[in-house]
Amino acid sequence: MTDMKNTDMEEINIATDVLVLGGGLTGIKAASEIAGSGYKVILVEKDAELGSKKGPELIGLKEEYKGLQDLEDKIKTDSNVEILTQASLVSAAGVTGDFTARLSKGKKVIEHNVGAIVVATDFATGSLNEKYGLSPADNVLTQSRMDELLASEADKEKLANKTVAFLVGLGQEGNPLVLERVLKSTLALQEIDGCDVYIYAGDLKVASNGLERMYKESREKGAVYFKLTEKPEIIENGKTISFFDTVARRNIEISPDLIVVEEELRADQLNERIAEILKIDVGPLGFLQNDNVHFFPVRSNRDGIFVAGSTREISGLPSAWTDVENIALEVRDLLGDGKKSVAKNKAVVNEDKCVICLTCYRCCPHGAIYWGDKKAVISPVACQGCGICASECPMDAIQIGGFSDEEMIEEVKSGVASGNGTPRILAFCCQNSAFEAGEMADIFKMQLPDGLRMIKVPCAGKIDLDYILNAFVAGADGILVMACHPGNCKSEKGNTYAQWRVNDAYRMLEEVGLEKDRLCFVGTASNMGSGFSSIVVDMEKRINELGLSPLK
Amino acid sequence: MSTENKKVMVVGGGIAGLTAAWELSRFNIDVELIEKTPFLGGYAIRYCCKATDECRQCGACTVEAMLKNVVNEPKIKVHLATDVEKINNRGRLSVDLKKSSYKPDSATEGVVRGYSKNNSPLHVIVDKEKCEENPDAVPEGAVELDTMGFSGKLDVDAVILASGFKPFDAEQKGTYGYKKFPNVVTGMDLELIIRENAIVVRPSDGKTAQKIAFIQCVGSRDESLGNLWCSQVCCPYALRMAERIKHKNADAEITVFYMDIQNAGKDYAGFYEKCKTEFRFVRNIPVDVFPMENDSLSMRYMNEEDGLCINEEFDLLVLSVGIVPGPDNSNLADLFDVGLNEDGFFAGIDKLNSTSTLKDGIFLAGTVGGPKDIAASMAHAGQAASEVIKHLGVS
Repeated sequence: MTDMKNTDMEEINIATDVLVLGGGLTGIKAASEIAGSGYKVILVEKDAELGSKKGPELIGLKEEYKGLQDLEDKIKTDSNVEILTQASLVSAAGVTGDFTARLSKGKKVIEHNVGAIVVATDFATGSLNEKYGLSPADNVLTQSRMDELLASEADKEKLANKTVAFLVGLGQEGNPLVLERVLKSTLALQEIDGCDVYIYAGDLKVASNGLERMYKESREKGAVYFKLTEKPEIIENGKTISFFDTVARRNIEISPDLIVVEEELRADQLNERIAEILKIDVGPLGFLQNDNVHFFPVRSNRDGIFVAGSTREISGLPSAWTDVENIALEVRDLLGDGKKSVAKNKAVVNEDKCVICLTCYRCCPHGAIYWGDKKAVISPVACQGCGICASECPMDAIQIGGFSDEEMIEEVKSGVASGNGTPRILAFCCQNSAFEAGEMADIFKMQLPDGLRMIKVPCAGKIDLDYILNAFVAGADGILVMACHPGNCKSEKGNTYAQWRVNDAYRMLEEVGLEKDRLCFVGTASNMGSGFSSIVVDMEKRINELGLSPLK
Repeated sequence: MSTENKKVMVVGGGIAGLTAAWELSRFNIDVELIEKTPFLGGYAIRYCCKATDECRQCGACTVEAMLKNVVNEPKIKVHLATDVEKINNRGRLSVDLKKSSYKPDSATEGVVRGYSKNNSPLHVIVDKEKCEENPDAVPEGAVELDTMGFSGKLDVDAVILASGFKPFDAEQKGTYGYKKFPNVVTGMDLELIIRENAIVVRPSDGKTAQKIAFIQCVGSRDESLGNLWCSQVCCPYALRMAERIKHKNADAEITVFYMDIQNAGKDYAGFYEKCKTEFRFVRNIPVDVFPMENDSLSMRYMNEEDGLCINEEFDLLVLSVGIVPGPDNSNLADLFDVGLNEDGFFAGIDKLNSTSTLKDGIFLAGTVGGPKDIAASMAHAGQAASEVIKHLGVS
């Protein structure tokens, strides 16, 4: 088995300044932690003031609030932090360890060489009145307006003796932060004389520390919860709310003085533009991280670009703080003392073959490739060695250390030829998933065909069409291409490329009259030993039905 | 200040402990990783992959990857079958360790196996006599539990408590008939069934289960137990598991009994919508379960449409058990002089920094501080490692 051996190392210098985008509380904390690790930080905020969006994320953090103000004051005098307000990112060239960021502030454009970039945008709030068929009126408040009223002693008095109804979880799926705002308001209203609170709720999103206790406390203090599966009937713009109670078997009608409508917490509008400039993916709902467990908590699809807090998903400050500490670790690990030891042969471009067609630049999921005068250039720091580029390159100009085409084809041939056992089944296994699962099946003595040979690849995206065809020519009776499940590839699309190549191979098999069933693409995971066993055993059965390969 | 000679003890080899140890080792810090059982990986290493034709983001595969990182990292010294005995707080933390009193849950066989190929040793002999009766059945390389464990003193600069949680003991909710009726299983049992067999079968007869019920919030959000928290993991694991079952067996009929469904994954609204088209959701938690002739189970619940009670039969009942504080929490709290919160989990310094404690040099990682899923436990462990590095003044 060829192991990835990168013994030939070189030391390179990398930039150690760090760019933090977003001067909200998460961005301030990130700047403070990174500067505290000894790196210079450029903190960029689009508005005139830092920390200006002290909104819903502060709910429930009364005791911590003082500390947050200190943090903000401290950052302003920290000589390691350069603050640029009313500024924005215009472009970012280069790769991890060596980004050239251009920032605009007024008419000026400032250029900075940075080693890492942290995106720390905040979430935005949006009205959901329309979802409930409500129009703005004196009796219809957004959650934000209710928060404002409760923050002012004068306004609070005006809420005495009012009946207040909250609508939550029926205009959207919601999340714990949305519910936390409702619970906090409810408990605050219960401190005011004569306030009655009714809550019309879909699923109560209590999956956050302390919420179940707050829910209980509010009930004990007299809040009434109506748990519904659909919106109640809202009459005369919220003057009356009515629904059919399935337990009491009757309509329940309430006429509140005030109706408070939940708000949507959504991704910052800036995210899309930032993603475009940084060439990182926009994930579900406009947040800047794909739903891929290998990126959690704070990685983006590009090395050296990190995402914190509500940049990647709706976060309260506690989880944003967790993200920031993880980013501080990642940044320390990445930048170190500005010197980085990298493998020389991770991905090598052959200048004689490269025609700068930019195929590799387009297909690299890590944004690790750019181009020079005569050839494509692969950054040894940013490259993850997946090999997608090597297999996509139409000129075969790229070779991956430890997994060169020559080595791979040699391994394919010897895999088919060596040892005993028929039918001969060759399994190309991604080292992150299928290869691990195969080892697990073997070590746990699960059933495996005698004629099975596993060939390890750095990523399924490295499985070249040539390898598959060579294996059939060498006499393989069946071939499995085993990748990570869609959405689980560390290189995002390696499994997709592998599937495409298998589809190409099917067309060729058809032309030469070889049965399609001899080739199979399948997704698997590193902990699926039993799954691996059943996949290869099924494959053996199918091949036995077909008989040995006619190409033998 | 250099990182040389800095040493940190991590108590607990589950996903949080593994992650904390690994993160520290990346910064050249020596780690002593203490695990009371003979295997690393905790509960998370036992979970199955819940992918359908696409990844469902359960994170179980990331636990395998982290375990592999740790066992291959020379900066991390692992002490299996070892427990903390005493702390002597003089300058550096001096910790006395002892062989743990670990006993396997079921001692029916003489040998227990780890859950990952990366467990070393993979097989541990827990009952020598049984093994002597049938020596051929003892796998090569099996190690006697009696010979494992470390007794002695270790001086360290900081300690991370990552001793994890306990799955709620479903026998406490007696009316569900867990361990009385063979086809009542917990979510944890189901993880193991799938991990070992790749398919879901009824424990009573090994047949494919067609009509399956999940009951949510077993041991969570339960005033009668005093468990006033949402375990945060059960809705995601139950829905992902149900999806996986449905993917393998399109004819399976799945019902989820619930109070409030919690979010799973980043695109939770889309995922929940999909689930609603595939399973039946009943907003009602049944109380009583009755056995039927063929080992099926009958349950009683209220129909929302007419308000009447329904009795319905199921092939398999899955109890979505939650996260409760670890069995060692009170002992560890005493030993390390760190407080527990009102729920019995360890208390962090404040809401924003839930990994530091009021006790200098003692930190928390993972479910020791409250319910978390795999991803959140790993993130919390990263935060703990970062706080430790600051504490040590490493740069």
